[in-house]
Amino acid sequence: MTECMRRVLESKRATRRRLQALPFAEKLKLLEKLRERSLFIARSELRTRQGR
Amino acid sequence: MKATLEVINAMQKDGIIGKYATGGAVGATYYLEPSATLDIDIFVALKTPPGAPLLMRTPIYDYLTSRGHRSEKEYLVIEGWPVQFLPPGNALEEEALEQAVETEVEGTRTWVITAEHLAAIALKTGRAKDFARLLEFVEAGVLDAHKLNSILERHGLIEKWEQFEAKFLRGRP
Repeated sequence: MTECMRRVLESKRATRRRLQALPFAEKLKLLEKLRERSLFIARSELRTRQGR
Repeated sequence: MKATLEVINAMQKDGIIGKYATGGAVGATYYLEPSATLDIDIFVALKTPPGAPLLMRTPIYDYLTSRGHRSEKEYLVIEGWPVQFLPPGNALEEEALEQAVETEVEGTRTWVITAEHLAAIALKTGRAKDFARLLEFVEAGVLDAHKLNSILERHGLIEKWEQFEAKFLRGRP
């Protein structure tokens, strides 16, 4: 594994740990944003066209 | 989400449901990083006599729809979130509901299934997304091995766990 890749993976793990440690209420707010994003993508024109 | 939980708490206070606890992806979010989900799974003890035939989600439906919440497929949409009410389907889920942990969301009291019970339910359910969640639990290091082991033993899931371990955890430190 290259040094660059090792740094990327470590940074990713650190972000996951930070998110995991957030208070439940804050995590739920993030869930709401993730859900809005998923619904937006599901409604998008490209998705709708592919579904035809 | 807080508003959704407040409605469910009111339903509990009004005697429509007994104890409840959040499971699924939202329950897992209590222990893990948030991951996208479109709905909320609520395990719920229903206040109906044992063996009552017309199982029993009707009071929930009536209560919520009479207050302006709409139904959508198998969900009731409460304050924007589709909620699925799940009476425990087996001894594991009954125990999970019984032992759920109390917490609060900005001052609103609520209950969440324990990490070990969520892991055991995921193992028992056994879809690809359940195994993915189980791996997240393992990788996050949030499971109490002793507690998990005793749940797996009580509910006959040791063999399934060994299969999961052999398939997904082999070679891990």
